[in-house]
Amino acid sequence: MAKMGMVFDLKACIGCNACVVACKQENSLPDGVFFTRTLSYEHGTYPNTRRTYIPTICNQCEDAPCEKVCPSGATFTREDGIVMVDRDKCIGCSSCAVACPYDMRTMLDKDMFEKGLFGTGELTPFEKQGYERFTPGTSVKCDFCSQRVDAGLDPACVSTCPTNARIFGDLDDPNSAPSKLIRDRDGRQPLPEKGTKPKVYYVD
Amino acid sequence: MLAKSLDVVGSEFRVGYRMQKSWGMSMATAFFFGEAGAGLYFVSQFYDLAAGMLLGLLMVIFGKGGGHLLHLGKPSRGWRAFTRVGSSWISRGLWAITLFAAFGALHLLDLQTGLLPRPLSALAAGVAVAGCLVIMVYQGFAMSHSSSITLWSSGLMPLASLTYALLNGVMLTLVIGHDALATSHPEALPMLRMAAVGLVLYGFVMVLSLVHSAKYGSGGGRKSVELLLRGAFSGYFLPVVLVLGFVVSGTMLAFAAKDLATMILVAGCELTGYYAFRVLMFKAGTYDPVLSFAPKFKP
Ligand code: SF4
Ligand code: SF4
Repeated sequence: MAKMGMVFDLKACIGCNACVVACKQENSLPDGVFFTRTLSYEHGTYPNTRRTYIPTICNQCEDAPCEKVCPSGATFTREDGIVMVDRDKCIGCSSCAVACPYDMRTMLDKDMFEKGLFGTGELTPFEKQGYERFTPGTSVKCDFCSQRVDAGLDPACVSTCPTNARIFGDLDDPNSAPSKLIRDRDGRQPLPEKGTKPKVYYVD
Repeated sequence: MLAKSLDVVGSEFRVGYRMQKSWGMSMATAFFFGEAGAGLYFVSQFYDLAAGMLLGLLMVIFGKGGGHLLHLGKPSRGWRAFTRVGSSWISRGLWAITLFAAFGALHLLDLQTGLLPRPLSALAAGVAVAGCLVIMVYQGFAMSHSSSITLWSSGLMPLASLTYALLNGVMLTLVIGHDALATSHPEALPMLRMAAVGLVLYGFVMVLSLVHSAKYGSGGGRKSVELLLRGAFSGYFLPVVLVLGFVVSGTMLAFAAKDLATMILVAGCELTGYYAFRVLMFKAGTYDPVLSFAPKFKP
């Protein structure tokens, strides 16, 4: 069985945030909602300072706390390891939001859909058709663009990245690109001490 | 190290501490009524104090239930929360509330009418108390599962819930049962006042321990403590939660007159402190940044 995962190459990421825009477009995300963010981080001491860009995304945790605490069964894991939210079952309790150690859940407010992307109260045709996939009052998160994965494609952020800083594939296949990177460049998971077994790794 | 060099970030695309915003006033209100109502029922039932038990039950059903319904994004689907009792404390809590409401009401009816035969009567009373006990602690367990909000993830959180529930229960029983207990159980009032003083002391140390464990738990925990003690929430945490909720109410309990008016005042101070505690625990909850995978980036 496949175990879909992602590797972020911090050496390659230039912080252009094309991934963020591609994600918003692919998933018709309303104002203020992001499934992925590329964060900037300044470190070091003058004159030896650096800025590193750290992409973040739902880690599709193998031992997902958001799934454990979900009282309705709305959060579940697919056979390929992608953690999903069933919008017809979600009761909007936000337990998943407070349990996710990575702050990767967003609760959808009704007014996110009413104001529109331009804040005028009018929705563009793009928004109208895109917002049909959402139910206000429920929880959303990245699902590795499951609709694209089902069609044999990479997630939108991966396809768009101009520097190949996001590498997607089956972590159960030792010859997949992400598996090789994790092995060869000592891939590390975010907050491993939380015991969530993320399927997202960082190499630098 | 991290706490010194990283800031609280809002929606900016920067690495830093993020405030939790998902649980707010409606959840705090639900938690308040849950731990006050269940505590009142629990203490009152030792003295068959029907007024206390009834009020406790109503506080849980309407105060806690109402707060939760207001919080839910899809309240009409709330029944679905019954389905994951194996892993979710929210599910377990909902079962406890339902059992408590049903069997607590049955027990109260039975107390007034003698409706049930003895074994069934004991069963109804037992199930109601079991549900009540779960309500007194489960909120703490639900919060302590948030592993990246260090202020919440402490093992002390369920104990804090239990302590506050018992303290609220004793204080409210001292008010509601003041006259009735003086006649039916005259020995109860001094005992309850003594218990209240003990619980005030214990609660005070418990809250300080929670703050202490957060401060030394992680950078995010330190940020939360900073906000509570010196930052945006210090104007409420110190004077309301600690001084009014524990110091003033404890001192009055120990040294002031023991009449009903004083007990109402003490209960008012204690409950105000407790409500502020519930609100501030949510407001000061801070997520740790996702940096531990890259020790070389740490300053
Ligand atoms: S990153 Fe958060 S939302 Fe995603 S699977 Fe893990 S716990 Fe759930
Ligand atoms: S908000 Fe929805 S997905 Fe999240 S825990 Fe509650 S029911 Fe589950």
